[in-house]
Amino acid sequence: MSDGQTLLTSAAGDDPQQGLRAVRALRELADRLETLQVQRARSLGWSWEQIAAALGVSRQAAHKKHGKA
Amino acid sequence: MFERFTGGARAAVVTAQEVARALRSEQIDTRHLLVALLEDGGHLVDGVRVDPAPLREAVAGTGVAPDHVVARARAAIAAGDVLDGEALASLGIDLDTVRARADEVFGAGALDAAARRRRRGTRGHVPFTGDAKKALELALREALRLQDKSIGPRHLLLGLLRADCPGGRVLADAAHEAGVDLPALRTAVEAADAA
Repeated sequence: MSDGQTLLTSAAGDDPQQGLRAVRALRELADRLETLQVQRARSLGWSWEQIAAALGVSRQAAHKKHGKA
Repeated sequence: MFERFTGGARAAVVTAQEVARALRSEQIDTRHLLVALLEDGGHLVDGVRVDPAPLREAVAGTGVAPDHVVARARAAIAAGDVLDGEALASLGIDLDTVRARADEVFGAGALDAAARRRRRGTRGHVPFTGDAKKALELALREALRLQDKSIGPRHLLLGLLRADCPGGRVLADAAHEAGVDLPALRTAVEAADAA
């Protein structure tokens, strides 16, 4: 992971371009994982209340974001 | 501002929205607008179809191939939606590992399917980015500068060129590659008689 090492300095470092790009990529990844996890939880019979509590959001927010999926 | 748009300009904005929807983009940026303005075809809006011919001819006249611009814009939109493994590595996250784990738990290709599923939800209103709004404002200013009473497709293209935006950069890059300078491109677009 010598590559990761160099990149790590840039991400946590002082170049906003690289730092913001990393944040964006992280958000995209988190969104996709959230979609997958919520879908799986629903298929396992979790209620929106349970999912919302686990995500730390309101039931309405969880349903609005994932209800159509 | 929209009430000052010509039928063609309105059709271009609606087409940009259709392009964004078709590509499952979460927002409409100026690359979608660029595709709408220069791609053959377009959508019928209130009986008016975007006629890209005048702008295509104007751009082609300078030596920049319109189809190449459209292809670049579409490629740029697609690339922007892909998971950025390099950027994630900069945070110490190995995308390959995450992908393998997601495949294990959710099935093969789940991570990419998740993006498509999520975007399918955005079937109604797709919002404009701030850049795109700015480009539309600059289109108005271009119309005023040219003393035109309404905002047509060529003003939209000029506004997009003025704004610091993804679509403008695609067009500027294509021009640069073709050895065409921006003032020459602007002059050609100004002279286009797009309705």
